[in-house]
Amino acid sequence: MASRLRRASALAVGVTAALCLAACSGSSSSSATSTTSASSGGVVQITLSHGYTDVEAKAITAQVATWNSSHPLIQVKLVFNGGNDGALQKTLAGLAAGSMPDIAYEYGSSMAALAGRPQVLDLSSRVKDPSFNWDDFYSFERDAATSKSKVYGVPALVDNLALVYNKKLFDAAGVSYPTDTWTWDDFRAAAKKLTNADQKQYGWAYVADGSEDTTWRWLAMLWQAGGDLLNASGTQSAFNSPAGLRATQLLHDMAVSDKSVYLDQGNGNYLNLFNSGKIAMLWTGPWDLSSINSDVSYGAQILPAAAAVHSSIAGPDNWMVFNNGTAREKAAWTFLTWLTSAQTHGAFTLATGDLPTRASETKLDSYTAYLAKYPGDAVFVLNLTNVTKARPNSTTYPQVSQAIGSQMQGVLIGQSSPQDALNAAAQQADSALAAGP
Amino acid sequence: MTSTSTPLAGTPAPPRTRPSFLRRLWWSDTLAGWAFISPTVLLIGLFGLVPVVWAFVLSFEHNDLISPGRWVGLDNYRKLLHDPQFANSVRNTVVYTLVFVPVCVVGALVVAAALNRRVRGITFYRVAVFVPVVTSTVATATMFGWLLDPDFGLVNAALGKVGVASQGFFRDPHEALMSIVVMTVWGWLGFGVIIYLAALQSVSADLLEAAAMDGCTRWRAFWRVEVPLLAPATLFLVIWLTINALQLFDEIFVTTKGGPVGSTTVVVYYLYVQAFQFFNGGYASAIAYVLFLAILAVTTVQLAVGRRFSYGGR
Repeated sequence: MASRLRRASALAVGVTAALCLAACSGSSSSSATSTTSASSGGVVQITLSHGYTDVEAKAITAQVATWNSSHPLIQVKLVFNGGNDGALQKTLAGLAAGSMPDIAYEYGSSMAALAGRPQVLDLSSRVKDPSFNWDDFYSFERDAATSKSKVYGVPALVDNLALVYNKKLFDAAGVSYPTDTWTWDDFRAAAKKLTNADQKQYGWAYVADGSEDTTWRWLAMLWQAGGDLLNASGTQSAFNSPAGLRATQLLHDMAVSDKSVYLDQGNGNYLNLFNSGKIAMLWTGPWDLSSINSDVSYGAQILPAAAAVHSSIAGPDNWMVFNNGTAREKAAWTFLTWLTSAQTHGAFTLATGDLPTRASETKLDSYTAYLAKYPGDAVFVLNLTNVTKARPNSTTYPQVSQAIGSQMQGVLIGQSSPQDALNAAAQQADSALAAGP
Repeated sequence: MTSTSTPLAGTPAPPRTRPSFLRRLWWSDTLAGWAFISPTVLLIGLFGLVPVVWAFVLSFEHNDLISPGRWVGLDNYRKLLHDPQFANSVRNTVVYTLVFVPVCVVGALVVAAALNRRVRGITFYRVAVFVPVVTSTVATATMFGWLLDPDFGLVNAALGKVGVASQGFFRDPHEALMSIVVMTVWGWLGFGVIIYLAALQSVSADLLEAAAMDGCTRWRAFWRVEVPLLAPATLFLVIWLTINALQLFDEIFVTTKGGPVGSTTVVVYYLYVQAFQFFNGGYASAIAYVLFLAILAVTTVQLAVGRRFSYGGR
C-alpha cells in the first residue's frame, strides 16, 4: 500500500513540475505578446529602452512624465537597459527572443549589426517628411543613422573629441593656452614642457588599451593629416599612407621619445589623474566634463591640426524603432518626433550639458542659458563643424578597429615602429575586409 | 485453476505468471526515481545540454548569431589551423596554465601545512586566506589594476622604496601574463588551501605517531608520510585548476583586454572577441569545441597518470 502511494505521488510530482515549467514559459511569452493588444480603450503603451544614468536619467524621466501627462492616449514606459556598453548584446538577445522594446538607444557603431533586420523599422520615408526637418541634423549624424541608403535611426546624442586642458598647470609651466590655430608641433612642444618626470606629471593622456578608444583618437589624427580610413568603396584599407605614417609617428614621438603621454589602461584613470593635476591635456568629449572637479580650472579648445585641418571625430548614437505592430509603431514615431524635436532636445541639453543634435537648437532662446551653464560646451558645439568624416557603418569595422587599436598600442609602448605597425594593421584590416561580413 | 495451497514435497511448484512489462514498470523503483528527478533533469538538459549541442552545430556554420546561418562544413576548423592570432592565444593559455597550476598547488600545500595547527587566531588566518576566493573576479581585477599601475600603483611605489626599477606590469607585454598569474594565484590559493586542509586533517594521527616513534623528524614525516597521502587531493586540485586555467577569461577582460599587443589574449578571450565583437558565431563555436576537446584530452591524461600515483582513490 505504501509503495503504491509512493509511485502515485512520484508521478504526481513529476507531472506537476512539468506543468509548472510549461506554464511559466507560456506566461512569460504571452506577457511579451500581450502588450500588442494593450490598446485597451485606445491607449497605446510603448516602451523606451535607454542607458542614461545620473543627470541624463533624471532629465529623460522628467520629459517622459511631461509627455505622459499631456498625451493620455500614448503612454511611454522607460526601461533602463543595464548600461549602454551591453545594449547591443541585449537588443540582439531581445530580437532572437522576439521581445523588443519599441524605441531603444543604440550606439552608432551598433547600426551595422542592426540595420536591415526585419524587426528594425526602416524610417527613411518617415524622416523625409518636411515637418520632421531631417536636414536640420548635422550631416555626420545623418550618415551614422543611415545604412545602405536607408535610415534606421534618429540621432539621440552627439559628441566629439576636443582638447580639454588644465589652466593651472599651463600657468605653472609658463605655457600659453591652446589656440584654434595650434599645429601638431605646438601641441607636442607644449606637452613636452608640461611633463615633469619627478612629479609624475604628464602633458597628455591617451587611452592605450587597444580598443576602439585607442583607435578613434588615432582616426582623428589620421583625418587631421588628410588621410582616409578606407577606400571609397570600403573594400580596402587606405590608412597605410603618408598621412597615416605622420599620425602614427606623432604618437611614437610623444609617447616614446618625449615620454610626455600617460598611457591609460582603459579603466578611466586618466580622469582621476586630470582631477589630481597630474595630466595637463586630454582629448576627450563632453561626457567627461561633468566629472571634472569644481576646483580644477579647465579650458576647452578644438584639436590641433597637422597643418591646417582641425578634424575631429564624433560618436553619434541613435534612437532605433522596432517592429511591434502598426499601432505601436505609429505611437512610437509620434513620441520620437516630439522627443527629438529642437524644443524638446534643447531643453534636454540645458538639463544635461549634452550637445545639440539639431543645428536649429543653437537658435533657440534657451541656448544662451545653455552656454552660460556649460561654458566648456561652446567649443564642442563649434567643433561639430570640424567633424567631416565618419567611421564606416559596416559589420567588419570592429575588426578593422581592433587591428588598428592593437598596433597603435604597440607603438605607444615602444614595441613596434610606426611603419611596421601600419603595415601589420593594414594587412589584418584587409584580410578582414576581404573575408566580408 | 490457481491453487494457493503449499505444494506437497517432491512435486514441482505451480507456474507463476510473470506480470506484464507495464505492470513491472509501474511497480518498479526506477519509475519512481525518474519521476522525482525529471524536473531537474529537464532543467539541466535545457540549459546545459542544448547549448552544447547547438554550439556544435554552430561550429559548422557561418553564423552571426541572429540571422540564419550558412552551412560551411569544416571551414571554421580549417581556418583555425591557419589563424596566427588563435595560435598566439593557445600559446598564451598554455604558458599561463603551466605556470599557474604548479605555483598554486605548491603554494596551497605550504599554506595549508602552516594553517594546520591550533594556534591563537587560526580561524582568522583561515578566513583571511579564503576571502580572495569568494571575492568576485571583477573586483579583484579592478583592484589589481590599481595596485599594479606602472605610474601610480602601490606596488611600484613600494619597489621604488627598496631601489627596484619601476615595472610595467599590465603595460609591458613581457610582464602582463605573469602579472595575471600573480593575480589569479592570489584568487585561487584559498581554494587549494581548503582542499588540502581537509585532506591533511584526515591523515590518521597513528601514522604520524608511528613515524615519530621510528625516529622520523617532523620535516621528513611531512614529506614522506603526509604528502603521499595527499595524492588524491593533489590530483583533484591539479585537474580542477588546470580546467579553470585553460578557461581563463574574467581577469583578462577587466584588466588587459587581451593586450598589450595580444600578449594576454587567451583562448576564451579570443573566442569572446570573435563571437561578440566580430559576430563570427560559427568560428567562435569551433574554437569552443577545440578547447573542449583539449580540456577533455588533458584531463584524461592527468587522471590516468594521477591514478597510478595516488593511493586511496578509485
